[in-house]
Amino acid sequence: MTTQTDSKAKPSRLMAIWRAASIPLAAVILALLVGAVILLISGANPIAAYSALAKGAFGSTAAFGRTLEKATPLILGGLAVAFAFKGGLFNIGGQGQLLFGAIVAAGVGFGIDGLPFIIHMPLALLMGSLAGALYGAIPGALKTYTGAREVITTIMLNFIAINFTDWLADGPWKDEGIVARTPAIAEAAAIPTWGNIPAGFFLAILAAVATWYLLYRTTTGYEIRTVGLNSNAAKYAGIKVSYTVILTMAISGFLAGMGGAIETLGVVGRYQPGFNAGLGFDGITIALLARTNPLGVVPAALLVGAMQAGSSQMQFDAHVPFQIIDVIQALILFFVSADMIVRWIVRVQPEEGEQVTLSTSWG
Amino acid sequence: MRYTKIWLVAVIFVMALSLAACGGAAPTQAPAEKEAAAEEAAAEESAAEQASADEAAEEEAPAEEPAAAAEGDCSSEEVFCVGLVTDVGEIDDKSFNQSAWEGVQIAGEAGAQVDYIETGDAKDYAANIDLFAQNGYDVIVTVGFALGEATATAASNYPDIDFIGVDQFQAEPVDNLAGLIFPEDKAGFMAGALAAQLTQSGTIAAVLGTDLVPPVVAFKEGYEAGARHINPDINLISTFHPGGLDVAFTDPEWGASTAKQAIDQGADVIFGAGGKTGNGALIEVAGHEGLFCIGVDTDQWETVPEAHPCLVSSAMKLITPGVAGLIEMSQAGQFPSGNFVGDVGLAPFHDFESQISDEIKASLEEINTGLLDGSIETGYNPG
Repeated sequence: MTTQTDSKAKPSRLMAIWRAASIPLAAVILALLVGAVILLISGANPIAAYSALAKGAFGSTAAFGRTLEKATPLILGGLAVAFAFKGGLFNIGGQGQLLFGAIVAAGVGFGIDGLPFIIHMPLALLMGSLAGALYGAIPGALKTYTGAREVITTIMLNFIAINFTDWLADGPWKDEGIVARTPAIAEAAAIPTWGNIPAGFFLAILAAVATWYLLYRTTTGYEIRTVGLNSNAAKYAGIKVSYTVILTMAISGFLAGMGGAIETLGVVGRYQPGFNAGLGFDGITIALLARTNPLGVVPAALLVGAMQAGSSQMQFDAHVPFQIIDVIQALILFFVSADMIVRWIVRVQPEEGEQVTLSTSWG
Repeated sequence: MRYTKIWLVAVIFVMALSLAACGGAAPTQAPAEKEAAAEEAAAEESAAEQASADEAAEEEAPAEEPAAAAEGDCSSEEVFCVGLVTDVGEIDDKSFNQSAWEGVQIAGEAGAQVDYIETGDAKDYAANIDLFAQNGYDVIVTVGFALGEATATAASNYPDIDFIGVDQFQAEPVDNLAGLIFPEDKAGFMAGALAAQLTQSGTIAAVLGTDLVPPVVAFKEGYEAGARHINPDINLISTFHPGGLDVAFTDPEWGASTAKQAIDQGADVIFGAGGKTGNGALIEVAGHEGLFCIGVDTDQWETVPEAHPCLVSSAMKLITPGVAGLIEMSQAGQFPSGNFVGDVGLAPFHDFESQISDEIKASLEEINTGLLDGSIETGYNPG
C-alpha cells in the first residue's frame, strides 16, 4: 500500500506513509484501549476477548476468508464515500446505491439463463454497478440543477432504496415460497470463492487501485479534486462544475453499487432484504479512517472487516457481546475525527494539504 | 523521537490493564497472569520495533486459550451441550430470543452445558451455527424464521447434532431437525376477540413488525379475524413497520409514534406485535389513561413492566416450554423431525383479572375450544 500523491518525493516516501498512517493507527490503538477499559468495567477479560477476536478473524483459512469477505463491501463502500469526499461531496447514500447494485445484480443473475460465465458474471456485476451509478447520479443532478444538498437527498434516497428493494423482493421479483427474497442467481453469474478466499475481494482491490489512478493520474480526476477543493476556482479555470458534480456522484454510486453486486453474486447468491444492512453506512467509517485516501481504504476495511468477522468467536470464547465491536468502531471514528486529541499524543503537526476536506458541502 | 509518546502511552495502558485483569479475575488468577505477561511482552516488543501494537497483540493471540473455557468438554459423550444462535438482535430482547434462551436454560438447570451467540449480521447465521457444531455441541437451537435455510444446511452437514429451529417451517422433513412452529393466527385471533370485547370506541389497532415475516402477517390476519368474529363492523387500524428486516423489530420510537397516531384516530385497544417495535407501542399506550394494550410472543407482563398500566394480556407463543420439551426429547433419544407445533394462548390478565367480565372470559374460552377443534377458523391461509 502507498498513500503517496506526489511522485517526486521518493526518498521520504516511507516517512510520508508513516505520517499519513500514524493518526488512523493511533486512533485504532486508542479505540482498542478504551474498548478494553469498557470490557473490564463490564466484567470481561479484554485480553481473552481480543485474542478470541483475532482467532475469529485470522485463526484459520476459513476465518481469514470470512475477513476478506466482510472487507470486500467495506472497501467498495469506503471508496464510494472517499471518492465523493475528494469531489467535495458527502455521499451518505452509499447504502441506497449499494442496495440497488445488489438487487439489479440479482435480477440479471436469476433473470437470464444460458449465458456462459465469462459473459454472465461480468454482465451482472456491471449492471449492478451501473444501477448504483444511476442512483448516485440523482443526488448529483439534484445538487446541480436545484441546489439541493446531497447530504440531505442521499439520506432520503436511502429510504426509497430500502423500501423499493424490499418491495421488489417481496413482489415482482419474489421467489416461490413464503420467504421474501429473489430466486437464486444462475451458477454462471456467481463470483467464485477459491477455497475459502472470495474472488470478489480482488475485484475490490482492483477498484481501489483504479479509483486511485482515476483521481491522481487522469485529467478527470484532477478536475474532480479541483472542484472538491474550491468549486469557484474550478469554474474560473474552465472546469464544468455541474457536469463534474454529477460525474463524481455517479462514480461514487458505481463503486457502492459494485459493492452490493459483489455481495449478491459472491456471498449471498440472491437478494434478500436485511442481508446488506448497514454496509453502505460502514463505508463512511472506512473512508474517514482512511482519511479519504483510496488506497488507505483497503487496510481500513480489512481492519473493520476483521473485527466483524471475529466478533462471533469473541462471543463464543470470551462471552463478550458483539456490540462491543460497534463501540470500538465508533471510538475509532471519534478519534479519527477528533484528531487534535490524537495529534497531541502522537505529536504530528498538521501539514498543508494533508487535511481532509469534509465540510465544504455543508456550507 | 517525536512518535515515541504514543508507544509509551500504549505500554502504560496495557500494563495498567494487565494489573486490573489480574485483580478482577480472582478465580482464574494463574492463567490471567500468564496472559497478562504475554501481552506485556508483546506490547514491549512491538514498541521496540515500532510496529503496530494492536496487530502484534492480535497475531500473537490465537495460541492462547481463554481462561473462561474451564467448563466441560462438549465433544465428550458425558457432557450434554446445548447452544443457541439468536436472530439479528439481542438475547434479552424480552421476546423471541429471550424466550427460547429461557427454554435452553431449563435444560441448563437439568445439567446441560448451555451457551448462546448473538447474531449481528444476517450473513453470519451459518458461521455462528458452525461455531457450536465444531465444538461438539449436541443440540443447537436457532431462533427465528430467517435462520431457516442456514439451519437446514447445518443439519445436513452435521447429522449427529439435533437442530431445533424456532419459527422455522419445514417443507421437507430432515431427520435431525425439528421446526418449532406456532399457529400465530390463532393467538392473534384470541387477542382480536379480546380487543373487540374491550373496546368502547369501536376502533382497535395493531402495531406490527414487518410484513416480510410471515408469522407477523399471521398475527395481524388472526387479530383482525378475531375482532370481526366478535363485531363484524369493528374499525381496524393495522400498521406494518415500513423499514426492512434490519430495523422492523428494533424501532420502539416508530412503534410509539404509530400507537399515538392510532390513539388519535380513536383506537382504545392496541396490539403491539413486533419485538422492540411493538414494545414501544405498548409503553406509549401505557401513558394514556383508560386504554388497553395487548402484548405478543411472551407474557409481556413479565418482560415490559412499563406497560403494566395498559397490558391486559399477551398473544403468547409458548416458546420456552416448546424449546425445553424438544431438548428433553433429544436427550432421551426421541427427537422428532419435521414440524413440531407448539402451543399458543392468551397470557394471564394479571391486574386486569377483576376488570374482565366473566362473560368475556367465557367467550374467550369458547373461542379457544373452537380454534382447537377446528370449528372456528381464522381464515388465514399463507400462500
